[in-house]
Amino acid sequence: MNKISINRFKDKAFMVFGVFCTFFGLFMLAIFVGDVVLKGVDRISWEFITNLPSRFPEKAGIFTALMGTCWILFLTAIIAIPLGVFAGLYLEEYGKRNRFAAILEINITNLAGIPSIIYGLLGLEIFARVMGLGQSVLTGALTLSLLILPIIIVSTRESVRAVPRSLREASLALGATKWQTIWYQVLPASGGGILTGVILALSRAVGEAAPLIVVGALAYVPFAPSTPLDEFSVLPIQIYNWASRPQQGFVINAAAAIVILLIVTFLMNGIAIYFRNKWQKKIKW
Amino acid sequence: MSKKLIAKNVNVFYDQTHVIKNVSLEIDANSVAAFIGPSGCGKSTFLRLYNRMNDLIEGFRKEGDVLLDGKDIYRNDMRVEDLRKKVGMVFQKPNPFPKSIYENVIYGLRIRGVNNKNLLDETVERALRQSALWDEVKDNLKKSALALSGGQQQRLCIARAIATEPSVVLMDEPASALDPISSAKIEELIYELKSQYTIIIVTHNMQQAGRVSDTTAFFYLGELVEFDTTKKIFMNPSDTRTQDYITGRFG
Amino acid sequence: MSHLDSEIKNLKSEMLEMFTLVRSQLEKSKVSLIQLDKDLAREVLVNEKRVNGFELKLDRDCENIIALFNPVAIDLRFVLACLKINSNLERIGDIAEGICQFVLNIKLEPEKSLLETSRLVEMFDTSIIILQEVMEAFDKEDTKLARSVFKKDEILDEINLNANQAVSDFIRANTERINQSLYLLSTIRKLERVGDQCKNIAEEIIFYIEAKVLKHKTQAQKQAE
Repeated sequence: MNKISINRFKDKAFMVFGVFCTFFGLFMLAIFVGDVVLKGVDRISWEFITNLPSRFPEKAGIFTALMGTCWILFLTAIIAIPLGVFAGLYLEEYGKRNRFAAILEINITNLAGIPSIIYGLLGLEIFARVMGLGQSVLTGALTLSLLILPIIIVSTRESVRAVPRSLREASLALGATKWQTIWYQVLPASGGGILTGVILALSRAVGEAAPLIVVGALAYVPFAPSTPLDEFSVLPIQIYNWASRPQQGFVINAAAAIVILLIVTFLMNGIAIYFRNKWQKKIKW
Repeated sequence: MSKKLIAKNVNVFYDQTHVIKNVSLEIDANSVAAFIGPSGCGKSTFLRLYNRMNDLIEGFRKEGDVLLDGKDIYRNDMRVEDLRKKVGMVFQKPNPFPKSIYENVIYGLRIRGVNNKNLLDETVERALRQSALWDEVKDNLKKSALALSGGQQQRLCIARAIATEPSVVLMDEPASALDPISSAKIEELIYELKSQYTIIIVTHNMQQAGRVSDTTAFFYLGELVEFDTTKKIFMNPSDTRTQDYITGRFG
Repeated sequence: MSHLDSEIKNLKSEMLEMFTLVRSQLEKSKVSLIQLDKDLAREVLVNEKRVNGFELKLDRDCENIIALFNPVAIDLRFVLACLKINSNLERIGDIAEGICQFVLNIKLEPEKSLLETSRLVEMFDTSIIILQEVMEAFDKEDTKLARSVFKKDEILDEINLNANQAVSDFIRANTERINQSLYLLSTIRKLERVGDQCKNIAEEIIFYIEAKVLKHKTQAQKQAE
């Protein structure tokens, strides 16, 4: 075989390999989801959603866990999003480009890779103990905010960086202040990217169990939180709890809860993507 | 004719690099001045002194005076935003905002809090007419600016710059990214705008400088080699360096 | 209208001004010679400075257009033609001045009989008409009119050829008027050159409009073009 034939072969082989990998991943995912859905979809009912946890699998429901997840999601969002976006904006737009800034950027990226359980320990000490917030929803939210903050900061910086310099120059040349330029040009232009980063970050938060366990989310909570300082549980923890019980009934419950969690995740992503698309349309790229 | 823009003994440094060397220059009101010279000679840097766009660059340092209508534009109580209302700029590559044509033109007014719809409408029509773009876009001002052709986008950028009624318009190679016909249209536009504005244009294209400008400044390695009426520069320049550049014998 | 278009338009109207100026010089020289009006002759001499100054200005304007605008095609041909026509016109101006110089040197009014036999008046009139027509051809870009000049110039050549005979006959009969007669003869020579200059102008006009070069072609060749 001459050179050209070898190259052609490599080309084809790579393509086949790529297709295989893609479908392998999708296939595995399909099997898992399919299995879970089959096991759990029948268990889903209005009672399942509104029942409190119980020792009896038939009576147990996910209400408290679901409410806990919603609370956590909401609080984390309102804490982490403004903090993360504005921190990212500040660092990218106002920060000086010196060695310190470069080191800072590297370290923020590193923070995103730290195991989440470490954040749990940090949150336990600072928020639960030192600040006296105890094992509350607020503690959980603050901890998760710390966890996802680096993700939001990095994706905000990347999106803002991607806005062409010519746009900023044009705005400044017309007499806009730096802030006006950010508000009228940079933010709208980078909004899509920022929103994507936020979606990713929140999706991560929704699925976390370990740090919340450390911080004190309980597996058995007979009531839904009514204030930020109440005790709480979340779906992932509930699922973990049920899945490790021997009774078959609880395994089915776990499957059902997973389905609910998946629905929540898809719903959240869907809403965020909808808003991102609307945003992009306004920009008319 | 009064001297609109005066530069006296200006030196510019970027950190340790000396990029503009002791340049003095006076430009008349309602005239077109062209800055020519090889790449890296400092003409764009000098242009940006007039609207203080160099302030954005780290390490920028200036000595000497730059006066607009007799007043120092680098004085402490000069707000850069006010300066840029009076001194507009058009860039080499057309850079309209990713918004509608209407929104692009009124941007300069919007950021100054002007909200009166009638005033905005009038401004848009006036600016687009002056940039010879009105007839082409008047039926759909809500169209995205990015849907326009390159030449139209550049005329939009000119309209945007003159919407704030500046007295000076700076143009940094405004036609170099355009095809010849659009480029010629821009030249005609500059010739017509002269009666209302003072225009400074940086250009690589010497024929363009000849066609469009009243005075020409030749920059080389950060120095102002020669500044005179365009007729003199193109018929009989005083400095051999100018002659060598214009006749294409450089490099 | 683009910048270049307005410059060319200006150049054209200035050229027409030059045409008009030179024509009036020629007309005045005719009147001043025939009526021996020395004041009018002096007027023409003074005006000659204006003609020269105008020639310099027109040259400069043409140079500027070439230097600043790099004209091509018809614009370039037009500017090059103007440069040449300009110097042709200036020479016609010189001729008018020369004739008026003669007037200042003549003591007696020219004899009517000589004027008739030499056909001087006819020569003056014809040359003025030719100049007028070539100016119109320039203004209206009429190459047909420009070409008609070649034919009309033959009249001038004819008069010039016969002038020797007419003048020498007159001198034999009127020896006291030798000076005057010689000046008249020189005037006829000069007017013949006016015709030549106008022919050159006509050639330039045809060049710039049709891009055809008629210089140095014979009469027959020109008719064929």
